[in-house]
Amino acid sequence: MLVVDGLTCRFGAKAAVDDASFQVSPGGFVGVIGRSGAGKSTLLRSINRLVTPTGGRILFDGVDVTALRGKDLRQWRARSAMIFQQFNLVGRLDVLTNVLMGRLATMPAWRSLTQAWPEQDKALAMSALEQFDIATLAAQRADQLSGGQQQRVAIARALVQQPDIILADEPIASLDPRNTKVVMDALLRINKHFGITVLCNLHSLDLARSYCDRLIGMAAGRVVFDGAPSALTDHVARELYDLEAADVMGAVPVPAPEGVPALGTAAAA
Amino acid sequence: MSRHPEVDAAQLRARHPDVFSRPASARLATPAMIAAALALLVFGLVDLDFSPSRLAAGVSQLGWITMMMIPPDPGSSLPLYLKALGETLSIALLGTTLAAVFALPVGLLAARNVVPSTILRFPVRRVLDSIRGVDTLIWALVWINVVGLGPFAGVLAIAVSDFGAFGKLFSEAIEGADQKQVEGIRASGGSALHEIRFGLMPQVLPVIAGQVLYFIESNTRSATIIGIVGAGGIGLQLAEQIRVLEWQKVSFLILMILVAVAAIDFISGKLRFAIIGRRAVA
Repeated sequence: MLVVDGLTCRFGAKAAVDDASFQVSPGGFVGVIGRSGAGKSTLLRSINRLVTPTGGRILFDGVDVTALRGKDLRQWRARSAMIFQQFNLVGRLDVLTNVLMGRLATMPAWRSLTQAWPEQDKALAMSALEQFDIATLAAQRADQLSGGQQQRVAIARALVQQPDIILADEPIASLDPRNTKVVMDALLRINKHFGITVLCNLHSLDLARSYCDRLIGMAAGRVVFDGAPSALTDHVARELYDLEAADVMGAVPVPAPEGVPALGTAAAA
Repeated sequence: MSRHPEVDAAQLRARHPDVFSRPASARLATPAMIAAALALLVFGLVDLDFSPSRLAAGVSQLGWITMMMIPPDPGSSLPLYLKALGETLSIALLGTTLAAVFALPVGLLAARNVVPSTILRFPVRRVLDSIRGVDTLIWALVWINVVGLGPFAGVLAIAVSDFGAFGKLFSEAIEGADQKQVEGIRASGGSALHEIRFGLMPQVLPVIAGQVLYFIESNTRSATIIGIVGAGGIGLQLAEQIRVLEWQKVSFLILMILVAVAAIDFISGKLRFAIIGRRAVA
């Protein structure tokens, strides 16, 4: 059970996340929606502690995650696996090593630093790659893969962390429609087969509605909607997204030209 | 009927006075700068005894020396020269390698994305700056007095002066690394050491390897120069032969150096390409 209680993250005077409170029960597929800059990213990053919150608490199974330090913090980061918009793989390392990065928190430093990976961990990594049909790419450099393949490697890395929760920060924003489906399906499979909670930032409302069983809407750092996708009416969506509403709900109207703008009076006498 | 808008110069001048009448100072700035630069050049020539007649007299001397150099001939000293050239190459290689080995950890300490604290980073950077501020030649003179004449002093001179240069270059390469890749390691539960080993090093090592190879090449030349002041190698032979006016040997030595530098240049170019293009397992 993840409990976010009055979470606030300030950068200078601006509050990226402002007094956010919600709970997520195990096994849920929760979408976090809202416009760009609403604080979705900061929310996820503060749960993984890539960002240090300035106020409030995050509890996981009763443990105060916001107070963790050192080895405990690293263990928590492994348990709350992040997936990023830009994949955040190490481009010059091969795919297998990238996936094995998910095992760093479980082994002594001498093993990882000398790349003496335990046989069991390698097997775990290969099995994760097999699940996403990219086992044949294990020896390739990560930066030679397509975006969709890279994101699947990143999901495999998250999976070998054997996480309790997966935090996906706009996982499909850099992908084309076909890869979008591949990656979202992969997340859904992890969620349904392994019962791992998924907390997923999404810009597209259509995707959020079709994949998530609960939506959390954010605006200006605050949680303004929390409920089932069916409860999210077009009216609420319009308030959430304001001017961007049309973009995220599919129908994109083409802005009509409004005639040639008048020239400045100084030039056209 | 004109298709172009009419221009009322008087009105535009009234609206944008500063565009139309630039102040005298702005108009005179460029000619004044050129005049000042010319005056400085003339002053420098006079003050440093620049004399065309001496140059003319010297040119004939230069021509004569060149004539004396032909054909290049090592006499009976070829084995000695080859050994000296090998010594120079060893000085360059050892000195650069030592410098790189010590500069890598220090470069990490001087990089903003590894040590965010300015207070901790500042002294490291200043030490590197100070070391770099003293030329290799001066370090050679210092080390000759500390450890005596010979190649050991040469190795130390190159190691120390390049330590300063490498520290700065490495820290800049590290700062230029993509932080997202490092973040990926951190978010998976990696320690600070893991972030450096798996997040930074794979990105930075090819850059660093390229820099080290270039320095080995340029230090082959430096090692020749510091040889002249007594730090061993082929520079020592060169200085001696100039002193005793053995111009044919001098030209042979110069050709040896040119060939060696060209060879190193060729090899390091190949290596650099191989490293940057290779499939990194890091």
